[in-house]
Amino acid sequence: MRSLRLLPAFALLAAAAASAQTFVFKGERWEVNDPFKLDSSVPPKPVIDSKKGVINAIKGTVDRVSNSGGIEVTLTRKLSEVTEVVWPVPSRLAEAQANVSRGEPAKALDNVEAVLKFFEPLKNVPGSWWIKASLVKLDALDRLENDAATVNYLNAFEKEEAAKLPEVATQIQLTRLMLRARKGDHDEVVKEANSLLAKVDTAELQARLHIVKGNSLLATKKYEAAMTAYLRVPVFFGSETELIPKALLGAARSFRGMDSPALRDQKLETVSNRYLYDIIVSFPVSKEAEEAKKMLPMEERAKAEADQKKIAGGGPLPEGVIMAKPKLADEEKVEGNK
Amino acid sequence: MLTPESRTYQAAKAALLAVLIAVTPLTGVLLAQTPPLPGAKKQAEDPMSILYKAAVKSFEEKKYREALEQFEELDAKAVDVELKLKAVLSYQKSLCHFFIKDWPRAESELTAFLEKYPKGTEDFLSDTDNRRGVADLLLIEALSKQSRWELALARLEKIRSSALARPEERVNAFALSAQVIVDRAKSGTDDVKRAAYAQAITLLKQATADGINTPEKRDAAYKLVEMYTKLGLTKEATQLKNEVDARSSGSPVEVVRSNFQRLEIGDARFSAAESAADEAFRGDFYRQALANYQGTLRRANLSSSFGRAIEAKQAEFATLTKNFPKPNPEQAANIEKVTQEITQFKKIQDEFNANKDYDAFISYRIGLCLLELKRNWEAHVAFLDIFENSPGFSRISGAYYYHILALRRIGRNNDAQAKCKEFIAKFPQDDQVSSIALILGDISQEREEYPEAIAHYKWVQANVKNLAPEIAEEIEFRIAACLFSQVDWAPAQKAFEAFLAKYERTPVRQQVLYMSALCSFFQGKYKETKTDFDKYEQEFPKGQFIADVRYRQAIVKFGTTPRDIPGTLKLCEDWLKDNAKNNLDEVIAQVPEVHTLIGDAYIAVADELDKKVKAADIDVRLNARTGDKAKFVEIKTKIEQEKEAVTSKAIDAYEAAAKSARTNPQALEFVLGELRKLLPGRGEHKRMRDLFKEIFDWDHNDPKAMTYLYEVIRSTERMGDMPEFVGEAETVRKKFSDQLAAGRKAVDQLERKPGITQAEIDVAKASVRKLSAELEAELAKVEAKRQTSIADQKTRALKILSDAVAESINDRKQEGTEKLIVFLAEKLARKVKRVKPGVAPEPGAYTSADAEKELVKLLRLEANRNSLVAQARGFFALGQLAVFTREPEKTTANFAKIAANYKAEELNPTILAIVGDSLLAKGDRQKAADYFRYILEHSRSSEYADYGFAGLAEIAFADKKYAEALSLCNEAVDNNILMAKELDIRFIQACALAERSQYKEAHDAFTMIAGTKEWRGEKTAASLYWLGQVAERQATDEKGYSEAIAYYRRCYLTWKKYEVWAAKSYFGAAKLFSTKLNQKDAAKLILQEMLEKDRIKDTREGVEAKAYLLGL
Repeated sequence: MRSLRLLPAFALLAAAAASAQTFVFKGERWEVNDPFKLDSSVPPKPVIDSKKGVINAIKGTVDRVSNSGGIEVTLTRKLSEVTEVVWPVPSRLAEAQANVSRGEPAKALDNVEAVLKFFEPLKNVPGSWWIKASLVKLDALDRLENDAATVNYLNAFEKEEAAKLPEVATQIQLTRLMLRARKGDHDEVVKEANSLLAKVDTAELQARLHIVKGNSLLATKKYEAAMTAYLRVPVFFGSETELIPKALLGAARSFRGMDSPALRDQKLETVSNRYLYDIIVSFPVSKEAEEAKKMLPMEERAKAEADQKKIAGGGPLPEGVIMAKPKLADEEKVEGNK
Repeated sequence: MLTPESRTYQAAKAALLAVLIAVTPLTGVLLAQTPPLPGAKKQAEDPMSILYKAAVKSFEEKKYREALEQFEELDAKAVDVELKLKAVLSYQKSLCHFFIKDWPRAESELTAFLEKYPKGTEDFLSDTDNRRGVADLLLIEALSKQSRWELALARLEKIRSSALARPEERVNAFALSAQVIVDRAKSGTDDVKRAAYAQAITLLKQATADGINTPEKRDAAYKLVEMYTKLGLTKEATQLKNEVDARSSGSPVEVVRSNFQRLEIGDARFSAAESAADEAFRGDFYRQALANYQGTLRRANLSSSFGRAIEAKQAEFATLTKNFPKPNPEQAANIEKVTQEITQFKKIQDEFNANKDYDAFISYRIGLCLLELKRNWEAHVAFLDIFENSPGFSRISGAYYYHILALRRIGRNNDAQAKCKEFIAKFPQDDQVSSIALILGDISQEREEYPEAIAHYKWVQANVKNLAPEIAEEIEFRIAACLFSQVDWAPAQKAFEAFLAKYERTPVRQQVLYMSALCSFFQGKYKETKTDFDKYEQEFPKGQFIADVRYRQAIVKFGTTPRDIPGTLKLCEDWLKDNAKNNLDEVIAQVPEVHTLIGDAYIAVADELDKKVKAADIDVRLNARTGDKAKFVEIKTKIEQEKEAVTSKAIDAYEAAAKSARTNPQALEFVLGELRKLLPGRGEHKRMRDLFKEIFDWDHNDPKAMTYLYEVIRSTERMGDMPEFVGEAETVRKKFSDQLAAGRKAVDQLERKPGITQAEIDVAKASVRKLSAELEAELAKVEAKRQTSIADQKTRALKILSDAVAESINDRKQEGTEKLIVFLAEKLARKVKRVKPGVAPEPGAYTSADAEKELVKLLRLEANRNSLVAQARGFFALGQLAVFTREPEKTTANFAKIAANYKAEELNPTILAIVGDSLLAKGDRQKAADYFRYILEHSRSSEYADYGFAGLAEIAFADKKYAEALSLCNEAVDNNILMAKELDIRFIQACALAERSQYKEAHDAFTMIAGTKEWRGEKTAASLYWLGQVAERQATDEKGYSEAIAYYRRCYLTWKKYEVWAAKSYFGAAKLFSTKLNQKDAAKLILQEMLEKDRIKDTREGVEAKAYLLGL
């Protein structure tokens, strides 16, 4: 999930290897220890570099020891004085995102809470990962389908400054839309999704809206319309890799719904199976891949799993597979953080 | 400008222009910090200053000619001025020439500026830039524009190697050098171009060697991306591009540029794909193109990015003007810079907004890639997006064309045709209209829907005004061809003749002549046919249809009266000889037809001979008592032998036809029909079996394979009852008949002869009895042999069937296997000697247990012990066997084993449906629902799909989930998923409607069921009862209740055999009489009548009615 406020941080990420965790104060920059980086001891402890600042979350300060002429001086600055954060993606945030994709919302919440807590005092500072973490939390809650918790969190989130950012506001709207869809208010959800689609500009939000719309259309058995809504995601937003599996799974289900003896010539079950195959082959570590395996007939499931292993081992893409891009993973990373 | 003109992207051009403008700031505000011209110092309104201001203003307004005149006037007047001011004027004039694109004068002025003013404009225009560097670059561009490449390159070389050149100038020099080299090679060969790209890459790599942290270096990097793209180095291009994008300042200029570069990379990959010879590479290239197109930002995103950039700059401007109300020159320059950027960003935004096709072009490209990658559904969605969001797209005709292609590929021919019509109606003048019009009819023609095809073509003729002449001609031909295909011979011939008259030199003349002749042929006009074919042979002696023409000529000979059989046979034999080595598909397909004709000819001869046989037979009978009998018998025998020989030849020919008809199913069907008539009658069961086995083995998945297999089985079984047994039995009878006759005669004589004792007669009689017993024993031996032979062949037939089943028993997806299993089970069930329940079977009789054992053996379940589906099919087979042997408990037990041991995904739709139904009947709703749900999820197109809908709807209805039940039924009805379970689905739908108080719809639905003759039975009874219910629930007065009672009465009077519904109806009517119509006596009578019926009185309603009656 990306937002404009995160652009500076994303841009910096491109040179992640070179940039360390840094707080920018007025007139100076302090490198600080990454609290998410742990050593290999049991239980693991944070890795501390004495030359870098140490964050004291309780006091809301950063402390740094400076050696001047053999005398050690501890310098302290308040977190509230930070004007910019330069921070590569926190490992636990990345893990949380992966948890969401894999359908492990509880683990995702566990990881993301740590990030939220850490960036809480810096939430409105440019480069902070707080907003991103909040959105990942929303995703996790959505996967958990715990509507009460989601509503509570949304209510609190809406009061934040960040919620005024257009993209965050739309994301909140989108989450509310998904809640309504779960309650079965499908016709209204489709209507509102259409209206939002005309307004949002980012590829990610567009893709998400198409999926929400597709879900409601599928639930009301409007299979053809659901199929076109879902397929718009892989067709136009192919770089939104996080969302592709959901869309493909939805499309596969829609094709199954469209199938009938009269349309036997269109081989819609084969078409559906091909999307399921694509999910397994191209997005093997996702919740949708597990679903796809359940839906795919045994024989084809075995083939998909075998092909996936071949691709993972560097084998060529089977004919017709367009989603799997293992060789472009690094590029995607840069692209994804633009 | 050095921007390649090949791209049409205006915004990208604007971005490059911006770079140039940035180094030549000429603004009114800048004048404020510019020292006034000498002589003007003391005067506030010095005419020279006014003129200079006017010239700068004209320049800013892009009135370059006007500005040039003013600068020239100023230059002429400013005689006694500082050198730098003369330099400024020279520089300004050169800029005017440059923008007017007067390259020679620009070159001359720039050369003069560089030669005359070694210090350039000094500090007049900028403290740090004396404009010599810019002038040098502009001069180089002017030289390039005149194709004076070497001079341009020499100057660039100087800048690149000059230690005095500013870093950005050196970077620009490298970038320009690269561009000049590429431009120089523009008209060269591909090899020259590739060499230029490689050279340009070397230079651009030097320009970006120290990173890409300045606008100039990023500019060079973008060019490097372009060069990589052109050389097909996609990986390098993509990596560098991502690096440049990551370092982008986010300015609209860079965003637009990056975006268009992505499109360019996509285009380059697309072109590479189109020219790639290797299929694997092609796919990769299309995928890469697709990835680039998908990564391109859409209009909404770009517009919003522009908006944000403009907002940010406007905020910056507001801050600057607020903080510096009286700016110093440096602050003023900053303010001006921001102002310029705002203007520039807005300009880009406006230009971008003017490009209405932007999004549609991306969708179009994506659609094309997807089509090439055979992702037809996705392509369909991509083109759909254009129609929905960019109906005014300039390439809409192309979008229509490719969308139609996508629709055809996904099998949506009706949609494709609708799209064709929509296009023709919307864009009647478009260039594509003719080809799309042709597609419209072509789709129907391809689907063999000829009347529709003709209607479409005629619609095109009537509605498309600018049809290309060749398309108009083709459409006329196609109409005639459609008439021909739908066997409207006379109109087709008329159309062909009219066509030939109109288009005498048409490229399809040969075809038209041939088809026209065929029209005569099929109308039986053999004389005309011969004339027409002769004409064809004369015009096209080696024509593509000559083989068929010769074959038809043979048929003509055969069809004329009297038949020319020798002529026919000669033509056929010649045809076979001449085409023996012809491998053309159509000729190969015609071989069986020629053989068939030979067969037909021999059969015709045989028919004639048959008449002669009959005549000879009459002669034999008439001369039975004359001396000529032997002669006539001999004649008859001879003719019979002749007939037999000819028939045998006919059979040989038919057999040859069948064996060569693999690619001609029509011929195969015909000839097999003939052989089915001939071979069994002649007792040639083995020949029949072998032939059908051979045909069955061609393709076991052929839709007709089952039919062939049945024939194999039947022939094999018949093979057991050989004619020899009849002969043998006859011989035995003959042998004994004389002895028996003699014996009986002896007994007769003895009985008549006086004085013969009873004992003597008894001896004679015993002798006869002995002979009779011996005869019986001998015949029994023959019969035993016959039975053994039949049993052997039956076993062999079962083995064949078993082989066929075993071949696919492990393949879950082979739905035909279940049909074979049912066939096999039926065969075995017939062998079972059924006995009444409780009666022990005779010792040695073939029992159902034996059948089960044999079935297990024949299905080879032991060998397939590890196959889940094979084992499941085993249980299914045993269940089906029990259906045939009428042992329902065994059926239930076997189906229950399937339910207990198999997940739905391990079974196929047939088993899921049948076992699911059985489970539902036994009340195992959970398991049944699993099976039915699996059918709905995976096998909606199977012929058992409706079991899924009906089963789930029944379960939902039983659980009182009426909305869900209704939704399932509606879905099945709306999508026409109605086969064996149509009645069930419609009935549950009607019940659900009733339960949801949709009485009108429910009434109509029940009425329809009750009124359908084919469905007469239990559901009719149930519908009548439900009609009563619907009426009762709506009734508010006597009339309403009477209507309900009328339905109940119809039910219990007509359908007593369905006791449940009759009971409900009786009870319902009685209650209404009692409670609503206050007619308790009538109610009592009905209940008494009800309770008199044995079948009804013990039903639940019967029990309730008894209690109710007591209370009345």
